[in-house]
Amino acid sequence: MNKTIKVMLVDDHPMVQDGLSSCLSFYDDIEIVGVVNDGNNALSEAIEKQPDVVLMDISMPSLNGLDATEILKETLPQTRVLIFSMHDSKEFVSTAMRVGASGYVLKDTHSEEVYHAIKTVASGNSYFSSSVAKALMDSPNEQVDNRLTTREQVILGHIAGGKSSKEIANSLCISTRTVDAHRRNIKSKLEIDNLAELVRYAIDNGLVAE
Amino acid sequence: MSLSFKTQLFAVFYVALTAIFIFFMVSDQYRSLSQQNLAALETFLIQQKQQELKNYTEIAMASVDSIYASSAKDDPMKQKQVADILSTLIYDGDDGYFFVYHEDGTSVVHPTEPYRVGQNFLDLRGQNGEPTIQILIENAKNGGDYYRYFWNQPSTEQITEKISYSRFFPKWKWMLGTGVYLDSVNEQLQTIQNAIDQQVDSTRLTILIITLSAIFLIFGFGIVVNFTQKKETEEKIHALDQKIIHIQEEEQRHISRELHDGIVQMLVSIKYSLEATGLVLKQKAIEKPEPLAKAEKNLVNTIGEIRRISYHLHPTILDELGLSDAMEQLGIEFSERTGIAIHINKPALRKLLPDPINTTLYRVVQESLVNIEKHSHATLATIDLEVKDDWLTLTICDNGIGNTNIKKEGQSSHKGIGIRNLAERIEYHNGVFNIDAGADGTTVTAKIPKSAFVNHYNRQQSHQRRSINE
Repeated sequence: MNKTIKVMLVDDHPMVQDGLSSCLSFYDDIEIVGVVNDGNNALSEAIEKQPDVVLMDISMPSLNGLDATEILKETLPQTRVLIFSMHDSKEFVSTAMRVGASGYVLKDTHSEEVYHAIKTVASGNSYFSSSVAKALMDSPNEQVDNRLTTREQVILGHIAGGKSSKEIANSLCISTRTVDAHRRNIKSKLEIDNLAELVRYAIDNGLVAE
Repeated sequence: MSLSFKTQLFAVFYVALTAIFIFFMVSDQYRSLSQQNLAALETFLIQQKQQELKNYTEIAMASVDSIYASSAKDDPMKQKQVADILSTLIYDGDDGYFFVYHEDGTSVVHPTEPYRVGQNFLDLRGQNGEPTIQILIENAKNGGDYYRYFWNQPSTEQITEKISYSRFFPKWKWMLGTGVYLDSVNEQLQTIQNAIDQQVDSTRLTILIITLSAIFLIFGFGIVVNFTQKKETEEKIHALDQKIIHIQEEEQRHISRELHDGIVQMLVSIKYSLEATGLVLKQKAIEKPEPLAKAEKNLVNTIGEIRRISYHLHPTILDELGLSDAMEQLGIEFSERTGIAIHINKPALRKLLPDPINTTLYRVVQESLVNIEKHSHATLATIDLEVKDDWLTLTICDNGIGNTNIKKEGQSSHKGIGIRNLAERIEYHNGVFNIDAGADGTTVTAKIPKSAFVNHYNRQQSHQRRSINE
């Protein structure tokens, strides 16, 4: 716990970054190593700066925070992502969990709580703002979620387009092993075990053209 | 009145005018032509009759010539003999007879009207006031000529036009004459005239039929053109409606984004600045002033309020997470607000739809839930979204009382967008919209063909990748 936590802020609004930075600067055990304004920059910057915690906004131009989180976790699985968003509905929170975020705080929470959340997430635990946690608790509707994540859906599109795992890996700049892991997940979620059916599924659902 | 209707009226007017012109011209031409022909024919027939008369007279004169030649200037015996012969010479039924008048006008021979014999008719005047007998005598004295006048016709007992030829017996001062009645000629001419009139009538009828069919054709054509135009106009209006709706939705989305991503973020930054101020004061061991704490609290409320407005204009979740998550959020809110249980089936894939379809289906869910809340008395509602058999099908059903007025309600509702409006929006995307209100609840179905969104996700992805690489 004596170690300084390296934090990266990802938010498309500089005023928010400034405001939060100035608040967090009062805490000695947090160091802000990077400030970027969209998902794509977050990916490259994270590889360079190797932060412990990424404070990730959701609504951003081009790549949104949730999709960025999923991709970030592929390459930097040890990096903890704390979603920092204005959205408080259950669907955002559950999606955040599905793509590998470790916590979720709302932008209108007090900076002290944000600090606390960063500390909690960095220590390997999860942290959810109280209102967010309530949203999750209130809907026991959460059966086994068989919905594909953005990344899985993109890979399904490539598979249906006739690409091999290696080709997909090259085009997405990830390892073949990662692609294969996604492939397994897709198959288990859709309860499909062969390639032909996978392609048929993508066509039937209008994901790709016939 | 549309321009085409004016053109139509003009065409009809023009056709009618032409027809009337042709009608009168043809009639006139026919009449003058027939008059010319009839006149020529009449002349010919009269000439024929005249020749006949002349021949008959020659025969009559020849038959009495021997008696007359051998007679003296005044020979009552021979005169009686000739008068008797002439009285018996009858041709052409009863109407062909010879008459004889003395120069002084006394009738000598008149087989059809024997009472005339012995009487004087010198001053007899015909219908036109001419002294008939005097003229006949004059013609005879001049070596024989024709005269047309009116006389009683024996066969019909009627005054009929007649043409007579007369010759003179100078020794006895007799005028011998015979005539034919022209009724047969006139009849012949009348028959021809009738035939011509019939021809004119049938021509007139033909013109009338052609004109009427032309007018009907113009009107028929006009109706077809108008119908097509009306249909085109309706389609244009429909497309315009959809454009207005689309613009409205886009505008709402834009304002919503401005509020959420602009104003709210600024307020958040101000909130953190206020918090930072508090932290500075805390460092200096100064207690946080109450107005500052109040400002922080008010700011949080303000942010909440603006977010609420933004959400109502256009839910960001629809753009960020797609339709199924957005409708799940709607469903959860609905359930919390109304106490009606909700069950939602979402497809495994997301963001398959282009924005306009996405928004339209979201509005369908929204409006249907409003209707369920207002009218159904349901205890359970189900929202089902799936892609199957080349259609994306959205079904919202409840177990309520099946409000049959739902269509009307949708139309008159001022707050809601209106079911009818939604149906039009769905149909605009080549979709099918249906409401089935039965005793065991209402089912709203909106279907969009797969062709309307196929490959949309992939295109979107590659578009994103391109913009990243740039």
